[in-house]
Amino acid sequence: MAMNVIMPQLGETVSEGTVSVWHAEVGDKVSPKTPLFDVSSDKVEMEVPAPGEGTLLEVRVEAGTTVSVGEVIAIIGKEGEAVEVVAPPAAEKKETKAEITAPAPALSIATKASNRDSNGNPLSPAVRRLIAENGLDPDTISGSGAGGRIKKKDVLAHLGSGAAAKPAPRTDSLTISGETEVIPFNNLRKMTAEHMVRSKATSPHVLQAVEADFASVGRARQAVSTQWKEREGFSLTWLPFVARAVCIAIRDFQRINAQIEGESLVVQRRINLGIAVDLDFDGLVAPVVKDADRMSLSELARAIRDVSSRARANKLTPDDFTGGTYTISNSGVFGTMITAPIINQPQVAILSTDGVTKKPVVIESEDGESIAIRPVGVLAQSFDHRAIDGAYSAAFLHRVREVIETTSWKSMLT
Amino acid sequence: MAELTYREAVAEGIAQEMRRDEDVVFLGEDIGAAGGVFKATVGLLKEFGPVRVRDTPISEQAILGAAMGSAMTGLKPIAEIMFSDFLAVCWDIVANEIAKARYMTGGQMSMPLVIRTANGGGSRFGAQHSQSVENWAMMVPGLKVVAPSTPADVKGLLAAAIRDPDPVMFFEQKSLYPIKGEVPDGELVDELGTAKVLRDGDDVTICALAAMVPRAIQAAEILSSEHGIEATVVDLRSLVPLDTKTILRETAKTGRLVTVEENPRLCGWGAEVASIVADENFWDLDGPVIRITTPHIPLPAADELEDATMPSADRIVREVSEKID
Repeated sequence: MAMNVIMPQLGETVSEGTVSVWHAEVGDKVSPKTPLFDVSSDKVEMEVPAPGEGTLLEVRVEAGTTVSVGEVIAIIGKEGEAVEVVAPPAAEKKETKAEITAPAPALSIATKASNRDSNGNPLSPAVRRLIAENGLDPDTISGSGAGGRIKKKDVLAHLGSGAAAKPAPRTDSLTISGETEVIPFNNLRKMTAEHMVRSKATSPHVLQAVEADFASVGRARQAVSTQWKEREGFSLTWLPFVARAVCIAIRDFQRINAQIEGESLVVQRRINLGIAVDLDFDGLVAPVVKDADRMSLSELARAIRDVSSRARANKLTPDDFTGGTYTISNSGVFGTMITAPIINQPQVAILSTDGVTKKPVVIESEDGESIAIRPVGVLAQSFDHRAIDGAYSAAFLHRVREVIETTSWKSMLT
Repeated sequence: MAELTYREAVAEGIAQEMRRDEDVVFLGEDIGAAGGVFKATVGLLKEFGPVRVRDTPISEQAILGAAMGSAMTGLKPIAEIMFSDFLAVCWDIVANEIAKARYMTGGQMSMPLVIRTANGGGSRFGAQHSQSVENWAMMVPGLKVVAPSTPADVKGLLAAAIRDPDPVMFFEQKSLYPIKGEVPDGELVDELGTAKVLRDGDDVTICALAAMVPRAIQAAEILSSEHGIEATVVDLRSLVPLDTKTILRETAKTGRLVTVEENPRLCGWGAEVASIVADENFWDLDGPVIRITTPHIPLPAADELEDATMPSADRIVREVSEKID
């Protein structure tokens, strides 16, 4: 008994649909478990399985054709069965509309572009997440599920096979001899280790650095140093100035303040700065100062002081760790010259400030060139080359330097 | 450690709390002199007397009206509704009065009562005496909903329900009354809103409740021996509060969720569990959620038909093994 395949209703207000792809040819076995064709309208794109088990006897509508809802577009029946002449409802065939069948741009991990592998097998949410997090190509993973579907454990096995080459971690019979000391990772160390490996595996890091003249910042600090410390109870460091400059620069280079989802860059409207805080050599955390761009320099200084002192007192809450859009790491206290930071996932860039030291600098003016002693520091940014390119990152860094060097910081504090 | 039946554990749990707190009273149809139509309350009248253990007329509204009034005025009543199907008779008192009292009095009044009821099918009682209605109660804000699967859980959770300051619907599955299990000696008080992981496996997480729990465990053993599928089995024990932490953790671990529900499919509790998992664990799911339920039909009384409608271990094995890949 032959069975009609009809154009489905794609929505209450939709009266027609376009067959974009046939997944079977005449003579193929079809079943409700496998997609028979893809259909699209101006609202949705979806796969349609066969309405029953059988053999595809006839295809009445070529891919790319738009027909009315309810129209018979194919016949399924027993192999060799004569196709009954089923009178289709009168329907006019429309011109092929190429723009309708063109795939929509991918918006997130969940879009159609990535939810199947190249064999047409579905990729589950868990598999898609693992593939995205680890930067894998699904075609290199062998699937053990129905029809070769890649299951979560296949991805884990695939990841494990790479890790198998590494020496197995020693978990037992470790003894402290005179020559070694075993320091087991605490949870923070484990999380940091996992995050760093994942970040390096996910994002192709590129390092760029600029040298900035901190003379204007130095004048401001010097001018208010004593009264600030008396009023606020802590010293005003270089860091809030850099953070403020970053906020101003991000306004002009918003793609720095973003994350990658699937094949899209999701640019964040809020600027929430992660501030890397060392816990007295006992771990690293990056609490977040939310809406940092809406704060004045003084407010920003207090907010950074607040999260870093709470971090050291172990009084941060889960909220303090969420929503970060860009991170600043500060190793300057030890006088380092440059640090190549690792991106704080899922962000796309991170800035390191290092020591600000006095150096001879060539000053150009109308009177010619001269050498002056200026406080100079390096601003180093690692960025995710998937998200942006070197020129964009460089232009952003140039803007940060410009803000640091040309802003009259003193007037903001006095 | 003593071996008790599920029905003996009911009487033990009530007795434990009545000995401890003289405000605890018990009322219902044939619960006293007859010891309950399911013999789950034998001995209570003898021990506690006719003031605290009261046989009532056949009026569910009178039972729950009296329970509500006594809870409002300081007692901690346990009311029995013989068959959970009859909750429909007194649903105004349950859903509009008991469940709302604390809220509508701005917290001035609490409603520390327990409604015990024999729930579920498998005993050939027909469409009006076999329903699994835990999802009715789950839908009403203000009610806690408990449905134990073992004698130990009956005793411990019943004690916790009686001590709870708010109304608790306590669903005893009637086909489980004869089962036996170890119950720890001495005072036993469990915690509402805690699920138990009864079996650990990496391939699929099966969430079940009450009579579906032993069937899920039996199915898990068959899945392991015949299909090489290792299932984690979670006994939810309580629908409100729901132990979402355990559900999400165990579901994330395997990437697959199966619910085994005795209630009819539409708006069964598994739909809510599936929705929570889809909301919060979507990126950990490795395949579609599988719901195994009684179909959306009145339950038949005929043996073969009733057996065919309720989820069985065989059906769990079949559905899981077919859909898991």
